[in-house]
Amino acid sequence: MSATRKCPQCGTELGPETPQGHCPRCLLAVGLGSEVTEPGGTQPIVAPKPPPAPAELAKHFPNLEILELLGQGGMGVVYKARQPRLDRLVALKVLSAEASRDPAFAERFSREARALARLNHPNIVAVYDFGEADGLYYLVMEFVDGLNMRQIEQAGKLSPREALRLVPAICDALQYAHDHGIVHRDIKPGNILVDPEGRVKIADFGLAKLLGRVPHGRSLTASQTIMGTPNYMAPERIERPQEVDHRADIYSLGVVLYEMLTGELPIGRFAPPSQKVQVDVRLDEVVLRALEKERERRYQQASQVKTDVETIASAPAQATRLVAAAVTPQTQAWKAARRRVKGPAIGLLVTGIFNWALMPLYVVIGLHLARNVGGINPSGMSVSFPIAMLLVAATSSFIIFAALKMKALEGWRMAVAGSVLAIIVSPGNLIGLPLGIWSLVVLSRREVRDAFAHKPT
Amino acid sequence: MASEHQTSQATAPRDGWFVTTRWSVVLAIGRADSTQARRALTTLCQTYWYPLYAYVRRLGHSPADAEDLTQEFFARLLEKQYLARVQREGGRFRSFLLAAFKRFLANEWDRAEAQKRGGHRTVLSLDAAAAESRYGQQPAYELTPDKIYDRAWARTLLEEVLVRLRQEYAAAGKAELFDQISVSLSQPRGAVRYADIAEQLGTTEAAVKMAVQRLRARYRQMLRTEIAHIVADPAEVEAEIRYLFATFAG
Repeated sequence: MSATRKCPQCGTELGPETPQGHCPRCLLAVGLGSEVTEPGGTQPIVAPKPPPAPAELAKHFPNLEILELLGQGGMGVVYKARQPRLDRLVALKVLSAEASRDPAFAERFSREARALARLNHPNIVAVYDFGEADGLYYLVMEFVDGLNMRQIEQAGKLSPREALRLVPAICDALQYAHDHGIVHRDIKPGNILVDPEGRVKIADFGLAKLLGRVPHGRSLTASQTIMGTPNYMAPERIERPQEVDHRADIYSLGVVLYEMLTGELPIGRFAPPSQKVQVDVRLDEVVLRALEKERERRYQQASQVKTDVETIASAPAQATRLVAAAVTPQTQAWKAARRRVKGPAIGLLVTGIFNWALMPLYVVIGLHLARNVGGINPSGMSVSFPIAMLLVAATSSFIIFAALKMKALEGWRMAVAGSVLAIIVSPGNLIGLPLGIWSLVVLSRREVRDAFAHKPT
Repeated sequence: MASEHQTSQATAPRDGWFVTTRWSVVLAIGRADSTQARRALTTLCQTYWYPLYAYVRRLGHSPADAEDLTQEFFARLLEKQYLARVQREGGRFRSFLLAAFKRFLANEWDRAEAQKRGGHRTVLSLDAAAAESRYGQQPAYELTPDKIYDRAWARTLLEEVLVRLRQEYAAAGKAELFDQISVSLSQPRGAVRYADIAEQLGTTEAAVKMAVQRLRARYRQMLRTEIAHIVADPAEVEAEIRYLFATFAG
């Protein structure tokens, strides 16, 4: 044990001599009356209060028309409001009163808020103003009329392809903030907003740190309880909270990405995305690299994630597979296969009909030959000719039947047999030769065979 | 750690704690000749001597001197004239003890030294070797002696409460439960994996959660009771905890 060990919760330096291994400061905090919260203390046991109604809040904010309550979370309460003079809508975020009882909070608040207000990026929710009104710390922010990713996910409106389309913008926002020395610390679907035009806006930059009860400017997010979303937290956030850097955001981005693609959280021993849903296998690598436990092995910059995702999304060889991977990937793959076989199936159909149509011609030629060319026994002819006619009629019917089945993605073997017959049976093979070969080529494709084998319910 | 446990267990009598160790008892009935007050003060001193040792070591005295000074101070403290002064001054035991010690160091060291070998004194059983190893482990940095004293005081107090809390659990046959869940006392909610503990103890997660809540509540109660015993007025408990809490800031 080293003499400079720190309490992971409050950051107090612990000597090797700790009461039964506990941080003395945290132990004392448990004994404090529940009405007092000191920096670094454990959270008091207080029942969550219902957020104040817009009308109640109005008296604290004379310059705002508070319109409605938008939501409540660990960070505070958000209201939709209007600045009458500028005639614009804003989001008013009133921070949780509990955090602001910390005496060092005021100074930290203005320092952090100023840094946040300096962030000017199309994919980051802008901070217009901040301050304190009657003991309430607040931020006035850009109002985003849209949904967050959590809501979109729950509504089932997000296909992996659409999700991937949002990733570059998220990466841009993170990279910009990281370049300005700001780590988000709480990247999760609830903080990623999407407006009706599909533009991404990331909210609550740095608020986790601001509300993280950081004693004496040490940069750590001390309280895990206030974060509320440990599922998205990088491992080092728990193990070495003092050393958290921008790469913690990249881990959280990995979790979000995994969840967007699979609908599940990467907990424990999780399968790579492509094993869960039909997505480009190369995305596995991107997601797993963002989710590396050791931050040294992760992507080191958000921009690198963006580059890789964009490369995969734009690579033509894989484009069809990405298209195929949507909300119900099986259905999508099946539909894609059906579009693919439509051409050859119609070709086969035409070939079959062509054979039928040419049958009278056969009869005429046959009779002509029998009558005019010597050496052909009319009696033998009378036996073989109708048999040949019957054979042609049967194979033509089979080709037509197989073509119809193929068009519906039913009976792969029958489709192959139909294609072969289309190639060899004359006179239809005049057009059946190229069409049959085309059909065989399409039928030999793996995704087409899969589509024949697994008809979605 | 083990040696500290042994020290405090060996020196602090467990029976009748709530009667004999109250500072308020000392203050209320502390007549010079009161055996009860004297006994209460002796017990208190045996629990809280280490902070004084740490203080005097920080002042720069050698381990041997520090031991002598602490021992001598207690010997004099437990004499009649000091008890009388205690009654006049009142206040918290923590601040009383340090104030008295400072006065002792400033004014009476010489005299005490002169009388040292001849006097007939009460001698506390202080484990100086354990104290020195404990002191040696302390991160000193630029802490003032007063701060060292306060921190050592808080640690001693907490150690005391935890030892007694464990004894209480052990007496009810729940030592194993205590050892498993006591970590939750200084952890934020949710940081302790109840499911793992439940598995180890062969019980349910809900039961562990309940046990943790009970433990926290009982610990809180014991801590506040203990502090109530060493402040003059029960209303000062909150302020004393906050004071001790603040000594660990920065």
